Amino acid sequence: MKVKEALEQVPVDPAAEERAWAVIGAAYARRERAHVARRRWPLVVPVVAVAAVAAAAYSSPGRAVVDAVRRTIGVEHAAPALFKLPAPGRLLVSGAGGTWVVAADGSKRRLGGEGQASWSPHGLFVVVARSDTLAAVEPARGTVRWTLSRPGVLFPRWGGTRADTRIAYLSAGRLRVVAGDGTGDVALARAARVAPAWQPERHVVAYATPRGRVTVVDVDSKAVLAVHAAQGARELAWSPGGKQLVAVTPRVVHIWAGGRHQLLRLAGVQAVAFARDGRLALLHGRNVFVYGRGEGGNVFTAPGRLAGVAWSPNGRWIVTALPSADQWIFIGGRRLRAVSSIARQFGGHVSLDGWVSGT
Amino acid sequence: MREAQRGSAAALEELFRAHWARAYRAALLVVGDAAAAEDIAQESFLAAVRALDRFDRRRPFGPWLHKIVVNRAIDWGRARALRRELDLEDVAEPAAVEPAVAGERSEELAGALALLGPEQRAVIVLRYLLEYTPGEIAELLDLPRGTVNSRLRRGLDRLEEELR
Repeated sequence: MKVKEALEQVPVDPAAEERAWAVIGAAYARRERAHVARRRWPLVVPVVAVAAVAAAAYSSPGRAVVDAVRRTIGVEHAAPALFKLPAPGRLLVSGAGGTWVVAADGSKRRLGGEGQASWSPHGLFVVVARSDTLAAVEPARGTVRWTLSRPGVLFPRWGGTRADTRIAYLSAGRLRVVAGDGTGDVALARAARVAPAWQPERHVVAYATPRGRVTVVDVDSKAVLAVHAAQGARELAWSPGGKQLVAVTPRVVHIWAGGRHQLLRLAGVQAVAFARDGRLALLHGRNVFVYGRGEGGNVFTAPGRLAGVAWSPNGRWIVTALPSADQWIFIGGRRLRAVSSIARQFGGHVSLDGWVSGT
Repeated sequence: MREAQRGSAAALEELFRAHWARAYRAALLVVGDAAAAEDIAQESFLAAVRALDRFDRRRPFGPWLHKIVVNRAIDWGRARALRRELDLEDVAEPAAVEPAVAGERSEELAGALALLGPEQRAVIVLRYLLEYTPGEIAELLDLPRGTVNSRLRRGLDRLEEELR
């Protein structure tokens, strides 16, 4: 038996080779750009830093912004570093300085380099998207459970049930879904650059299409369950019970629930987050609004534009970021806490990717 | 390799083209799944790109890459039984992947290989496709040489039985 001859007859799909080269060539090009940037930074950084500090200190608008920030939530009232979270749980953040998990006692674990991240439904794992790689990471030790190479991976979102999970993400303009153990990766449909959203405890995902629709699909049966018009949708969220789907567009917030369609006419909403009890927090410029359970209205106004919003697992605190003051602000009813020097602690600005229970 | 380390994309592409087919074939023969083999080979090359700066140029690139490929393929094969598969094939993008093995003889052989465990498949592939000696295989897989020899012998016996 000529084993070698037979083994060498196994055909190699040329399309697979080209797909692989597209990913590997791009990864190599990014590596080279990073090398060049690293070589240049030592000269550029001091000049830019000095110029930026001088501009901030001596320009009157810059001075005014800094003073306004100090007067209100203010640097002098902010904790100089994150010593602990105001509520139990773990906070996931990601940005240029890496992906981090912050424990309730303020301790931080870095899970790797720059990327986008989200929790698994029960906070047991984190999925991280970094350029051409999707990775499932065990957060306590940072152990990588599996990785998957796909071009331009964006917006990973982990959903499903405790026993059978799925991850939805975008790659090359398509919505893809992979099982929680990294197997069975498939492309489902063309999608707009918006994070998909899983209906809790089901294998149903909502995603924005390039044609201004929000489509809800069962990834197991492949059945399209709903198609809603929502031109310019930029954020999607399901309520914890899975009965309400929210889509944020530049002009309105759509809420679909059991065949009903409601519109919240509030232009410029940047982000939304549901609390475990169903209350909805909306980030709008310098304001945080909360709706639901018979209440509704502004709960906080900052001196600058806010970025990102997440609820504590017990629903008593909201965290948001005030990038102009390099602060995180924790809003707990009438209580307010601020932490400064976020960029220094996390190696740059970070997005708030979710606060889950557990230690 | 030297040029690729210095930033030449053309040199890296040359390296990739020279090694892709064997890496992919090796992964395919160990895992028996074209999509998984593509992922494994691709991720192995990505790992190589990430570690390019640390690579010792005095050593050949092939064995380094093959070690990554075959070990990843073995891990995949071991874990597969524990994994849940997602049945979404009919909405998947056309993968443009040929049947895993074409040609009657290689098809039969691939079928027989699939009956072996991933560790045995890996040893057969390293020996007969990639042409490593048993000593080199032992080094690549971090196994005693005796274990490699016995896996080879048992694997070949089994293949012979199946193909008789």
